[in-house]
Amino acid sequence: MARKLKRDLTVEEQLARGPLDLPFLMLVVMLTGIGVIMMFSASYAEALYELENPTYYFMRQGLFAVAGLVIMYVVSKINYQTLRWLSVLALMGSIFLLILVKVPGIGDSAGGANRWIRAIGPLPRWQPSEAAKLGVILYFSARLSKRHTEKKRKFDLRKPSGRVLRFLDHIGFLELLPYGAILGVIALLLLWEPHLSATILILAIGASILFAAGIHLGWFALGGGLMGAALWVVANATSYMADRLAIWRDPWSDMQGDGYQIVQSLYAIGSGGLLGLGLGNSRQKFLYLPELQNDYIFPIICEELGFVGAAMVLVLFALLIIRGYWLALHARDRFGALLAVGVTTQVAVQVFLNIGVVTNLLPPTGISLPFFSYGGTALVIQLVEMGIVLGVSRQIPAPRAG
Amino acid sequence: MAQKEQKHNSIGNNSGDRRQNRTILGRTLFLMGVFGIAAFIPLFYKLWQIQIVDHEYYQKLAIEQQTSDMLVTAPRGTIYDTNGNTLAVSVSVQNVVISPRDIAEAQEEKRKSGEEKAAAGKELTDAEAAAMSGTYKEFIASGLASILGMEEETILGRMSNTSSQYEVLQWRVDDDVSQAVREFQEENGLYPGVYLLPDTKRVYPYSSLACQLIGWVNVNDGNKGAYGTEARYEDELSGEPGRVVTARNAAGTEMLSSYENYIDAKSGQNIQLTIDATIQSYCERVLAEGISSYEVRKGGFCLAMDPNTGAILAMASSPNYDLNEPRTVADPVLQQYIDTLEADPEAQNEAYMEALYSQWTNRTVSDTYEPGSTFKTLVVAAALEEGVVNENSHFYCPGYKIVADRRISCSKHDGHGDQDLAQAVANSCNPAFIEIGQALGAEKFYQYLKDFGMIGKTGIDVQGESDNTNLVWSEEYFTSPEGAVSLAVASFGQTFRVTPIQLITAACAAVNGGHLMKPYVVESFTDEDGKVISQTQPTEIRQVISEETSEKVRDLLFGVVDWGTGKNARMDGYHIGGKTGTSEKRDEDTGDLIVSFLGVAPADDPKVVILLAFDSPTPVVPGSDYTSHGFYISGGNMAAPSAGPLLADIMDYMGVEKVYDGDYADTVVPLTVGLSQAQAQSLLDSKSLSYRTVGEGATVTDQLPAQGTSIPEGSEVVLYLGAEKPTEQVEVPDLTRRSPAAVEQALESLGLYMRAEGVTSYTDTTRSTSQSIPAGTMVDPGTVVQVHFMDTAVQDYG
Repeated sequence: MARKLKRDLTVEEQLARGPLDLPFLMLVVMLTGIGVIMMFSASYAEALYELENPTYYFMRQGLFAVAGLVIMYVVSKINYQTLRWLSVLALMGSIFLLILVKVPGIGDSAGGANRWIRAIGPLPRWQPSEAAKLGVILYFSARLSKRHTEKKRKFDLRKPSGRVLRFLDHIGFLELLPYGAILGVIALLLLWEPHLSATILILAIGASILFAAGIHLGWFALGGGLMGAALWVVANATSYMADRLAIWRDPWSDMQGDGYQIVQSLYAIGSGGLLGLGLGNSRQKFLYLPELQNDYIFPIICEELGFVGAAMVLVLFALLIIRGYWLALHARDRFGALLAVGVTTQVAVQVFLNIGVVTNLLPPTGISLPFFSYGGTALVIQLVEMGIVLGVSRQIPAPRAG
Repeated sequence: MAQKEQKHNSIGNNSGDRRQNRTILGRTLFLMGVFGIAAFIPLFYKLWQIQIVDHEYYQKLAIEQQTSDMLVTAPRGTIYDTNGNTLAVSVSVQNVVISPRDIAEAQEEKRKSGEEKAAAGKELTDAEAAAMSGTYKEFIASGLASILGMEEETILGRMSNTSSQYEVLQWRVDDDVSQAVREFQEENGLYPGVYLLPDTKRVYPYSSLACQLIGWVNVNDGNKGAYGTEARYEDELSGEPGRVVTARNAAGTEMLSSYENYIDAKSGQNIQLTIDATIQSYCERVLAEGISSYEVRKGGFCLAMDPNTGAILAMASSPNYDLNEPRTVADPVLQQYIDTLEADPEAQNEAYMEALYSQWTNRTVSDTYEPGSTFKTLVVAAALEEGVVNENSHFYCPGYKIVADRRISCSKHDGHGDQDLAQAVANSCNPAFIEIGQALGAEKFYQYLKDFGMIGKTGIDVQGESDNTNLVWSEEYFTSPEGAVSLAVASFGQTFRVTPIQLITAACAAVNGGHLMKPYVVESFTDEDGKVISQTQPTEIRQVISEETSEKVRDLLFGVVDWGTGKNARMDGYHIGGKTGTSEKRDEDTGDLIVSFLGVAPADDPKVVILLAFDSPTPVVPGSDYTSHGFYISGGNMAAPSAGPLLADIMDYMGVEKVYDGDYADTVVPLTVGLSQAQAQSLLDSKSLSYRTVGEGATVTDQLPAQGTSIPEGSEVVLYLGAEKPTEQVEVPDLTRRSPAAVEQALESLGLYMRAEGVTSYTDTTRSTSQSIPAGTMVDPGTVVQVHFMDTAVQDYG
């Protein structure tokens, strides 16, 4: 079929053909490229010793990166408006998948957690929690972009229940209810896996979109207060958390046990110095630092590339995040804006938590570093999200000339 | 900014739309500020802290854990004798180690792999079969027990310590054992439960040879030399350990593609000793034989020295021990004594330790003793040098001498009567030597003590040399009037103590032309390629006496052996000189004696000087002068007869040609067969041989011994005149402890010939001591048997 001429296109179709946001694209490609290179360097030793194939992690990550970039481009071509109706399916689907991980024969477990759907056919093993993040972003953005257009609810004020409901509606509680329910269900499913870090992330993503969409700040104060109180209780009431916090304050107190990983991380970061040991010259990667291809890849970057290299990566992340919000600010509609906010916030929270943990700024939680940590699903879904943001960027109207 | 919400703008109102947009705008800006900028500030701060501010702290800690600073032991140098025979060498061995923890862990794995294999119908290893039947540990224990020769129970006991990964079952096993362990381990896949760790072991191929001189390394003290040369030259032998600073991974193995810093190990230097393994073995054999035949209770020592250089050719002490097992008491007498103390473990242990120290002690440098009459060599040398006596001096010995109201008796109680100098020396006459000492005077006597190095150390490069300074009188006392008795007894070598090495060093100076040479045992140090690093040059400390005086001393010493108290050391064909010695062990007050002999050969041009001594021969009853074997306890009757053959052996080994005096020449039996009896007689006469005939014929049909046999002059040749020569072999009889006449008769009756050796002037107390063909051997008639004679009652006490 012959390509339609421009004048035959609808306005939306014309907009969807707009130019990609080049700075954002560049940043994504750079980070993905650096991530793959660092994956090679960081995972080399462990892959060699444990798997006897030094390029095991690198090859897989590289393939996913290439595939992910292609998918990102394809996704960016999709008119994101179609995501409005897809978002419901995405959300339902991801909740369904989160239940599936518990189904024997489909779910796959490791380390006592059922986080994976096992490899089926050509599809590799993957984490549906990644999809859930996307589902939440899509659904929340789609629904919240229309919040002020929803019909005002009518309540029978003669009944006490009606008055209560009206009050609840007035303070925004009723509006929040479905979002809270969705987050609650997903959070419960994730905690059931258990997968605390994914829970935190999804809550943070959901909260950021709700925040951006204009939900009354009081709710955030309330939510934040509740979360803080819960954390305080958990931290003080359970010895498990207390131990974790004690190790956070002084990792050397249990250097051979729970503090081992963070101490090794600090050794790696600290021994990097200003300019680092040079690419490929990390010593800590030689079995000292566990999980370095996952959550602890950043310390290897610090060790090999030094403060200068690590700061460069941080700056790239900061620029990506700022550009992401910039795109949200300039998006053609609220849906696009909220999509960009959700995706960008996810990247931002992950970067902050991951680097905060490896530098012992925060107590340990297992959050991966976008574009860097090993994981095919995560990388591809991250790039799909980037594709969505790029799709949003296509529809930003060009500034009027003169 | 964001545009209208396209789809719903017909429904939504414009103002709400705009407000909504403004809200999103503001809050997104807020998020951008928080996540895009604010969140990065603490991250940057933290990175700066860790990477820049605390960089050195973390780097130090990281490097500590990443590097293993491994010491590489340098190969220890080898010790050779002067001919390059290996006396001590380090070899690679393995320690057999088990890791109980890994064994316990592997048990389950083996059971699983065994089950899998069984399910797949594959062949199982023995270990897997054992694991499946629950006897995995027992399987390993019994396998190792049979290889290592240990009890299975013991190994199982060690295995029960499952928290350990390092239990050494056997240290330093040899190659065949470690190979067997390795095969057992590989066949059954037992690593890391069972493994081998390389180590080194010091091996002494000659076992006990020169044990006190060589010494041993203490495996409990980092393989450092504990005694002898091993200890004395520890630094040279051990070399310098190298260091490998390796980057290592968390598993403890080497990191790939990482820095390594080698500081090469410097191999230990090899040491070549002046000791000659052959001469050393002669000396040790003579010591051991003497100790057993003279019933010596406290061992002895034997030194052999090259008088011209000061190089020690042999240095032997008894009791000795096997260097490969230094903690085993090797001396049967000592071991027997320890065994008798079984009832008292404490005393037994003490005796054991004492026995160890005595066998480890190099007596030739560490022990001091009263030199006795051997010291007279130096006294006469000094007196001749000072000209206070000469060959024509005469001394009268009434059997005693009074010095400062003290009666000092001679060994010959009825006195030697009138003697010239040579006789006085040959008789070892104490009164004569008291006179010589007095003629020399205390000052000069003391000066010669010092000049001959009899006070202080010789400085020999051997571990543990004693300083005898406190065992000799002070100069003030000795030269004072109160020292008169001291001077008198010093003249025959008593009441002061020296080390054997001091005495032999001084004696060498007395016979080598007067040069006091510094004794040494290390010929050279070489590197691992055999290149000489340093070579010991003979060092002359001083010239003590003149060449002329030295020559006179040599003549006097030759006289001692030729016809004096040392005559039992006489060996035909060897020009042996020497001086006997018998000294009291004044410190013990047990009446025990040390009998010694200082020997020089050849006496006219010394190539070797020996000092042989036996400590405490056992008298038959306490106080008796004789041992149960009938030896008169004295240097002349014990040390001298042992020293003669020793010197002869050394001379032969050194290739010194024998010189026979006319009297003792052999003659070659001529061919007489076919001659008439008269012709044969004149032929035999011309060869100084007598004859007897068997048979009635006119011509000689056969002869005994056959033509070409070398027999002593004057021997009788048997001529067969038609009679059949007996061809039956005869049995050599036991010829020891008989008089010369009895021996000759016994041999003649069998048609054998005797060649007498040893003492030449036969007296009533001359007895045969050894024979060249052992008793009981079947020999042809006419065979010559060499028989050694000695005088069993040489009076040379003092």
